[in-house]
Amino acid sequence: MIDWLTEPFAYDFMRRALLAALIVGALAPAVGVWMVLRRMAYLGDAMSHATLGGVAVAYLLGVSLVLGALGAGLIMAAIMTVLPFHPRLREDAVIGITQVTLFAVGLLIISKADTGAVDLSHLLLGSITTVSPADLRIDFALGGVCALVLALIFDDLRTATMDPQHAASVGVRVNLLRAILLMILAVVVVLSLQTVGLLLSVALLVVPAATARLWTRTAFRMTVVASMIGMVSTFLGLTLSWHVNSPPGASIALVCVSALVVSFVATMPRRVAQADQHLPPGSLSGETPM
Amino acid sequence: MHNKLSYPAIAARGLGVDLGGREVLRDVSFTLAPGEKLAVVGPNGAGKTTLLKALMGLVPRRGDVMLHGRGSRPAAFVAQSSDLDLDFPATVAQLVTCGRRLQKKTFGWFRLTDRQAASRALTRVGLDGLESRGIRELSGGQLQRALLARALVQEADILLLDEPFTGVDAATVESICEILDTLTDEGRTVMAVSHDLSLVRNRFDRCLTVNETVIADGHPDEVLGPDGIERLLFSH
Repeated sequence: MIDWLTEPFAYDFMRRALLAALIVGALAPAVGVWMVLRRMAYLGDAMSHATLGGVAVAYLLGVSLVLGALGAGLIMAAIMTVLPFHPRLREDAVIGITQVTLFAVGLLIISKADTGAVDLSHLLLGSITTVSPADLRIDFALGGVCALVLALIFDDLRTATMDPQHAASVGVRVNLLRAILLMILAVVVVLSLQTVGLLLSVALLVVPAATARLWTRTAFRMTVVASMIGMVSTFLGLTLSWHVNSPPGASIALVCVSALVVSFVATMPRRVAQADQHLPPGSLSGETPM
Repeated sequence: MHNKLSYPAIAARGLGVDLGGREVLRDVSFTLAPGEKLAVVGPNGAGKTTLLKALMGLVPRRGDVMLHGRGSRPAAFVAQSSDLDLDFPATVAQLVTCGRRLQKKTFGWFRLTDRQAASRALTRVGLDGLESRGIRELSGGQLQRALLARALVQEADILLLDEPFTGVDAATVESICEILDTLTDEGRTVMAVSHDLSLVRNRFDRCLTVNETVIADGHPDEVLGPDGIERLLFSH
């Protein structure tokens, strides 16, 4: 068993792949926790699609495709920060509008630029085995900054997500906090370009966070557990893909989903017991449920 | 040096609020002395909650608002419990500790002293021992008291409460009233929105009736007499 787990990592390129996968596997679920708790899980998917526009522009300009994706992600974050200020534009509508616009721009440019010779599939599906030492350095730097900022704003995120009205009354700059979270999301989506690819990045963002929610009762524990699930899933997914010769991104995504299914079944008895004890709220004390 | 006792706790002059193109409040003026306990009464949609938010600076407003002689925010606001996301994974202690936000650095974490303050506030509202319970597991009355504890840890001189007596049983109402009495005895100022007229008559010093503007301001027995209620309901 140990041999089965360690054999793939006898090679340099696989060790680099593992490190890159672990960075994303730890960071993406930590950001995903806030996407899930704020009911913005769809935003991760939208962000990943929107980056295609940036990739296409970057190809035309001859600059790094990752930089292009990052630019598009940050543009989407900026639009998502500004547009919902209009009282008649709901957030889900703004997400859909922005995603479709940037995705369409990407498709248009790609079709006109005759990029048939350029393999964009490695960005859509991931190409973790081609991670270079330079890529790793970028991953470490960007991932480290995101993790640090996320840690520093953790208590404010909890305050603002639990009760935005109260958060504003105690001086939390709710909209600024949201903008920072969106920028971190954009960076994480771009980091996951090489691991699971754009199309499956939502798997690492949302699935470990949703799985951790089944096991935990506080946001901090949810974050720790989600990151652990993310790292274990990327390790197992990568190992599995080596042995069965499957795409790493899809393998990692399926391991994440398997963890969710197992957790759902394993926590079912506890949920049933809690439902028997606590529903409806207030019924034990005879007070009015709220 | 700024001596807050030489100023009214709350002084509003010509206060107005427009929301969604509609004038929700207009020309609201009143003052409240330190240690006073004021009830705000009015029909649904009269602008009572908006008044509290305007005093806190949570909605765009016209006119002047001074709290203890300053334009800044030495007040704690207890919003309706429906504003709280009960699905959020948090313990009661974490909920209450959020009230210490003004005492912590902008980029930083709550400290041990903040958690200790939260624990003391929970004891004060009779919820000691429930620190590690999930917020979803609280009854309606317990949740209302936890929200009050969250306001107490702010150590603010002014408390603005939006319908703190709604949806709770008589024992909880009595418990909240006793806590508010203690606070005013300490010199703190309390302003609470309520629909319970008999409670306002029995437990508040002063009543402000509001229907887009101030209709009457005085002792509850006068303001909430038959004439006062008629003026309030037919003030449009």
